Amino acid sequence: MDYLFHILVSVALFSILATSFNLLIGYSGLFALSHAAFFGVGAYATAILTTQLGLVFPIPLLIGMIITALVGMAIALPALRIGGDYLVIVSLALQMIVAAIMLNWTALTGGTDGIRGIPRVVIAGWELNNAPRFLPLAVFCAAFCFWISWKIGNSPFGRALKAMRENESAVLSVGKNVVAMKLSVFALAAALASVAGSLYAHYVTFVSAEGFTLDLTVYVLAMVILGGTGNLWGSLLGAAILTILPELLKFLALSPDVADKIRQMLYGIILILILRIRPQGLIPETSNLNLTRDPGYRPDVGALVHASRLEGTGLEKRFGGIVAVSGVDISIEPGRITGLIGPNGAGKTTAFNLLTGFLKPSAGEVRYRDRPLTGLKPHEIVRLGIARSFQDLRLFTRLSVIENVMVAMPRQSGDSLFQVFFNPWKVRREEREHLAKALAILSFVQLEHRASDIASDLSYAEEKLLVVARLMATEAEVLLFDEPLSGLSPDTLEQVFPIFRKLAGSGRTIAIIEHNLDVIRSLCDSAIFLDEGKKFAHDRPEVLMNDPALATRYFK
Amino acid sequence: MDLLAQLLVNGLVNGSHYALLGLSFGLIFGPTRITHFAHGPLATLAAYVGWWAAQRGVPLELALLAGIGSGALIGILCYQYLYEPFERSGSPALVILIGSLGLYIVVENFIGAVFGTDTKVLPNPPSQVFLIGPVVITQVQAMQVFALISSAIALGLFLGKTRFGRAVLAMNDNIEMARVVGIDTDRIALLVFALGSAIAACAALLILMRDGASSHMGFNLVFMGFVAVVVGGIGSLRGAIAGGYALGLVESLGMWKIPSEWQSSIAFVVLFLVLLFRPQGLFAGRQ
Repeated sequence: MDYLFHILVSVALFSILATSFNLLIGYSGLFALSHAAFFGVGAYATAILTTQLGLVFPIPLLIGMIITALVGMAIALPALRIGGDYLVIVSLALQMIVAAIMLNWTALTGGTDGIRGIPRVVIAGWELNNAPRFLPLAVFCAAFCFWISWKIGNSPFGRALKAMRENESAVLSVGKNVVAMKLSVFALAAALASVAGSLYAHYVTFVSAEGFTLDLTVYVLAMVILGGTGNLWGSLLGAAILTILPELLKFLALSPDVADKIRQMLYGIILILILRIRPQGLIPETSNLNLTRDPGYRPDVGALVHASRLEGTGLEKRFGGIVAVSGVDISIEPGRITGLIGPNGAGKTTAFNLLTGFLKPSAGEVRYRDRPLTGLKPHEIVRLGIARSFQDLRLFTRLSVIENVMVAMPRQSGDSLFQVFFNPWKVRREEREHLAKALAILSFVQLEHRASDIASDLSYAEEKLLVVARLMATEAEVLLFDEPLSGLSPDTLEQVFPIFRKLAGSGRTIAIIEHNLDVIRSLCDSAIFLDEGKKFAHDRPEVLMNDPALATRYFK
Repeated sequence: MDLLAQLLVNGLVNGSHYALLGLSFGLIFGPTRITHFAHGPLATLAAYVGWWAAQRGVPLELALLAGIGSGALIGILCYQYLYEPFERSGSPALVILIGSLGLYIVVENFIGAVFGTDTKVLPNPPSQVFLIGPVVITQVQAMQVFALISSAIALGLFLGKTRFGRAVLAMNDNIEMARVVGIDTDRIALLVFALGSAIAACAALLILMRDGASSHMGFNLVFMGFVAVVVGGIGSLRGAIAGGYALGLVESLGMWKIPSEWQSSIAFVVLFLVLLFRPQGLFAGRQ
């Protein structure tokens, strides 16, 4: 009977590891293979604090969470600049460093002997010294950790994490602080994993470095992948299946050592098979936004705003020896649509990148409302009211259309984890307002009927409209569109033109990069001609097009 | 001073080993962009084939050849039956990486289950020792340096002078463009898997001769190769060699002042710092 309870305790502890790991890899797309190290740091922290300082539960658990959160942030530091394979290797390196410390800092960690005699948890004189007694505590902690992960996953913060997973630069372009997001999700996932570690230390009363190797990380990874990335219920299911399934091996007459090897091989095989057969996992990711919360009213998203002129002077950008843009003065007037035209490689997108902080100019400065934007990060510039779109769209393809819009909204208190947990009513009220506003924006771009569909299911024209909607959602007054109309049919263009005209008519400052001269002629109030990184003219479209010198340049 | 000279030589020897691993990992990783985690355990399997043959009385040279040959074969099978199907179904890189981790676990534990976890040594490994002044170098150590030099030269000639070699380089630069100009990227992938796995098998067999082989040595084989590639700069084989030597030297010279139990951590700290401050790698040649 105790054996059954022991399995349930294991399920509870592994479910903590699987859900927190899912926050990292499933929600945020941060593939860090150091979860076993977080688990281990939590376990060692409890082991050391109880045996050497005599602290009693739950204080070692809480201190362990703080220490592990700091370790998690140490991984996040290189992850701020790099991703993908680099993150894999750096997280492995951290895993090895932690293992080396456990093995070699003998005075603190007992070296290869590990630490024995960790006291059991005593609650109100009741010593949790066997599996049945320990189970309620394990389940309670697992439920609490699941609740925390759940709150995060379903908050606006969690939505932004998923958006970051889909496209990091697009998240920057809608004004999110990616640095803060990565630091907090690493700290959180690490802290949650350390809870499992602390409980484990109290439960088995012994820790050694062998328990916290890469094998364990792969084991937990198999749980997350089997259950389904981006879905926390899946992680619970995966943890349950992969904890219980290997126990069946016990009924075969194998030596313990061989049985252990076969168990590990089983995880590997399951991992490969699930990726081949059902890569989304047993319970696939679902959109967590409920459209029935729609309060019904629609705010006026086309209302008048008082934008100002966006001005770049003497802009210059060099990449090594290559001059991409030099000596360019740009001024984009409010209430009008300004076109940027020029042959391929003229520096149009580079100009946008300089205006929005995605590139730092080698010389010159950008000013808005008499304020230089020098040195500001892209997300800070968005918050000042200047936003841009990308030629290659960069939608959050696995999020729903409405989530693509909502994630871009500014000043969401739900972006702060503090507010998510300590001011949930405010967050919920805002979510309703944001939902109404997002629906209003979608109706403005004639996309309301697609609100609950996944962005990757949209047609090309609908994707382009969603780009406009997402940019509007930032509430920026200056909207810079990189080829928003390219590839659209003449019929569609006729439908889309009024949207841009209404945006300009409401007082916003609009600029578009466009190759189609007909579009420039019928949509733009003025156009800037760029070629070879220099500005050649800024005038009304008719004037530019009647200039034979520019025509030769354009068609050369 | 004698100690320093010995540490320097040890660093160069270990550096050669890491450079060989970097070469083998980079040769696969550069053109295919597959993070081939199972690389290490598969090379270990090849070393076990060599050990098994030698155990059966096969002469050492032939046993080593059998190991290298089976390494190449295992690499080909691995691409053909694991990665190629993933790529054909359009799986993202992350999915392939996770699949590779799955194979890593399977192969490592398979070796442990079949052969046991004890250290395997050859019946009569090469055991000559040379003295150059105050510095000691063993025959196997000399072979490690020789293996790197000969592989690097052979690979350099192959990549620079042959049609297949240039196709590998083209794919390393830009896989899409390589497809556009008519390179059969599947065949090139098979080729680099065969070559890279053979080189890794070579490194693993040298470890078998030097320290003996064990079922869990695959981690170090793939990890140090990966680290050498990242430290040197992804996409450059010269960088991988330089990265390998940098690791070997830092690790070995670090022992001058740092207690030896921390030796293996030095490389990880170096990696961590490189990625923090110079993520494009120390010797990045290509933008």
